[in-house]
Amino acid sequence: MQQTVVRHRVRAPKPRTSELKKRLWRNRWLYAMVLPGILFFVIFKYVPMFGLAIAFQDYKPFKGVGGSEWVGFDHFERLFTEPDFLMILVNTLLLFGMNLLFFFPVPIILALMLNEVRLSFFKRTFQTLVYLPHFMSWVIIVSISFVMLTSDGGIVNELLVYFGFEKINFLLSPEWFRPMYILQVIWREAGWGTIIYLAAIASVDPQLYEAARMDGAGRLRQVWHITLPAIRSVIVILLILKIGDVLELGFEHVYLLLNSMNREVAEIIDTYVYTAGLRQGQFSYSTAIGFFKSFIGLLLVMLANKLAKKMGEEGVY
Amino acid sequence: MNKKSFSILVSVVLAFSLLLSACSGGSGGANNNASPAPSDEGGAKTEETAKPEESAKPAEITIMLPLNTAETPPDTIKNEIEKLTNTKLTYQFFPADTYEEKLNASFATGSLPDVTYLKNQATFIQMKEAIRDGQFWEIGPYLSEFPNLAKLKEEILNNTKVDGKLYSLYIGRPLARQGMIYRKDWADKLGLGAPANVGELYAMIEKFTTEDPDGNGQDDTVGLADRNDLIYGAFKTVAAWFGTPNNWGEADGRLQPEFTFPEYVETMDFIKKVRDAKAMNVDFAATSKTDQVNLFTSGKAGVYIGSMQDVNSLVKDLVKNVQDAVVDTHSMVAGPDGQLATWSIPGYNNVVLFPKSAVKDEAELKGILAFFDKMMTPEVANMMYWGKEGVHYTIQDGKAKAGEDQELTEREVKGFKDSVIGEPETNGMLEGFHDLPARIHAEQLVLENEKIAVPDPTAPLDSATFTEKGTELQEIIKDATYKYMYGSIDKAGFDKAVEDWKKRGGDKIIEEFNAAYKK
Repeated sequence: MQQTVVRHRVRAPKPRTSELKKRLWRNRWLYAMVLPGILFFVIFKYVPMFGLAIAFQDYKPFKGVGGSEWVGFDHFERLFTEPDFLMILVNTLLLFGMNLLFFFPVPIILALMLNEVRLSFFKRTFQTLVYLPHFMSWVIIVSISFVMLTSDGGIVNELLVYFGFEKINFLLSPEWFRPMYILQVIWREAGWGTIIYLAAIASVDPQLYEAARMDGAGRLRQVWHITLPAIRSVIVILLILKIGDVLELGFEHVYLLLNSMNREVAEIIDTYVYTAGLRQGQFSYSTAIGFFKSFIGLLLVMLANKLAKKMGEEGVY
Repeated sequence: MNKKSFSILVSVVLAFSLLLSACSGGSGGANNNASPAPSDEGGAKTEETAKPEESAKPAEITIMLPLNTAETPPDTIKNEIEKLTNTKLTYQFFPADTYEEKLNASFATGSLPDVTYLKNQATFIQMKEAIRDGQFWEIGPYLSEFPNLAKLKEEILNNTKVDGKLYSLYIGRPLARQGMIYRKDWADKLGLGAPANVGELYAMIEKFTTEDPDGNGQDDTVGLADRNDLIYGAFKTVAAWFGTPNNWGEADGRLQPEFTFPEYVETMDFIKKVRDAKAMNVDFAATSKTDQVNLFTSGKAGVYIGSMQDVNSLVKDLVKNVQDAVVDTHSMVAGPDGQLATWSIPGYNNVVLFPKSAVKDEAELKGILAFFDKMMTPEVANMMYWGKEGVHYTIQDGKAKAGEDQELTEREVKGFKDSVIGEPETNGMLEGFHDLPARIHAEQLVLENEKIAVPDPTAPLDSATFTEKGTELQEIIKDATYKYMYGSIDKAGFDKAVEDWKKRGGDKIIEEFNAAYKK
């Protein structure tokens, strides 16, 4: 029994290799076309990964990876024993959670609403207007917010006073940091996010709507029973991808909003890497933090993917 | 600087250092910091020109420096310098905002050029480890061979030494430019003189707020305009007036950080009092310099504390909004005990280093030093600092008066301006001619300030922990200082932050600085 199995294995590869070769040859142009893409990933994504080695070294630029001293998990120890570590992690995850909860549904809702607009001129104009902020840099968005929200003559505070309320110190109070962050994200990114959903909605078979109308379904019913299920897989995939970017909360954005008064809620992993690592040229420590961050990201993606599959969707892998 | 560009940078750095170490691994691994020289040819040429008689062939020098303007300057000035110094220069300008990244990346890939300008004192501190490791030429022994370089000020050179050895040339700056710029017309109207002490300063700030100095019948002015910067904003200057030491001071025979001194707390109380009285922009912890300047130039705020040399740009915009505004500068503000003091920088704001990876031998180094020696002659220094006479500046009363076309000067000269080594006393450069009375006053005050300037005792000292964690730890103090001034923590809370600072590495910094101080 065993013998036969072994013999089988030995014999089998031969035809398979030639088969493979033949197949490769037959599709050689297709493979040639894929090659640049593969090279891109190898050169820019996989090769640099070896650099993670410096997270375990006391890396000195002038000594190189080969010459720097190995220190094991020292940098990770430093990170985990940092008194602010928990605060930073919680801030990062909270901000991410709020992002998912409050920002993620906005483009979907916006897309559904736009889809109901029948006036094509209005629809197009509106769409352009809402995705325009995407092209503004965070510096501009934060500056505009500053001018509007400052308690020294900012329009929002002036209005509050006019209507008999107390001034609110939006820029400096820890309570207002998160809402301000989320609102700015929605302002800048919501319109841009609708594009993919609108495309998905456009591909829904119109016959389904006709059939539904025959059965007497109203607008809302159509959205609920046809549009949403039809774009469900797109939503799930975007959700998983979004979770993969869990910790990409926008260094620039948060760093611009960060100040001494709101640091306890606004310091996230990215800004910490900048102040503790980069500004002092500590590559190893920065890399260790980055590594840790990517690790959380990976875990969350795997989790989300599993959930998606449980729900009967395809997932990203 | 965003996340993406950072990760790209790191990837590139890593990829290159891998390559480098892989290459050198073959040659025994001992020499793994070696990197390809930018041009071996250039080295050979400089060797020739390094000889005193100066052969006709110009020395080729590549220079990397931070750029404080939006555009790379054209070659106008560069060509003139080349003619004057018999060199062939390649300038590599990189935006000052991201210069540290560029510096670190070039360093990691071994591609630093012959002449490397750092950005400021902070980057210099970071480089010290590499300097100790022997990555840069020690130039101390050569200085005496160059008559002009030998003129550089001894005490400032001492501040830039690493373990007692000199590796760098410095770009000089006046020791103490800090003071206040205020609305003289407002003060005159309210019958106030320039504040002689901190009490009068408070009175001025308060009255500027409450007594309607602009006379429009509306409660729309504030005394002080400040920003989110504890050092170059108002705080540190006011702290020095209160008698707080400059970063570090001696108490009971030991060096202690400034924030452990009672004067620091008095300063916080002062600003807190001003803020509580709404006599300043209450959002100052989130105010940028642009917004701070706007408060002053729009005629809303009456006192600006910071560099007195900012007065020209402040007045220029202020008179557009308030035509009859009169502005003056002032810096002699006594503390509660009647003592005058101000804080000073270590006399330089940047240094130049010469990487061994690019400068191959002594002859080449001497060729480069010869270039810097010539830079310290009046013709070259003026060309780099002021530009071409008659185009960018004119001479009036033996001083340089900036030309009318400021944009032209900004575009063509500014890039080179910040790289002139030494200061007018040592490189013979022209002093600036000013016609704005407040600026003339400011220049006098800068000289007066020198007499009462308090130096930072740790400027020539080293602490490994400070190099590693200083910036990060400073954030604790910075946050606590703002929170105290905003009233969200009290003295006990502030003391707790100081304890926290000590626990997380501050104690070690104190130890290390004191150990170095004793030597």
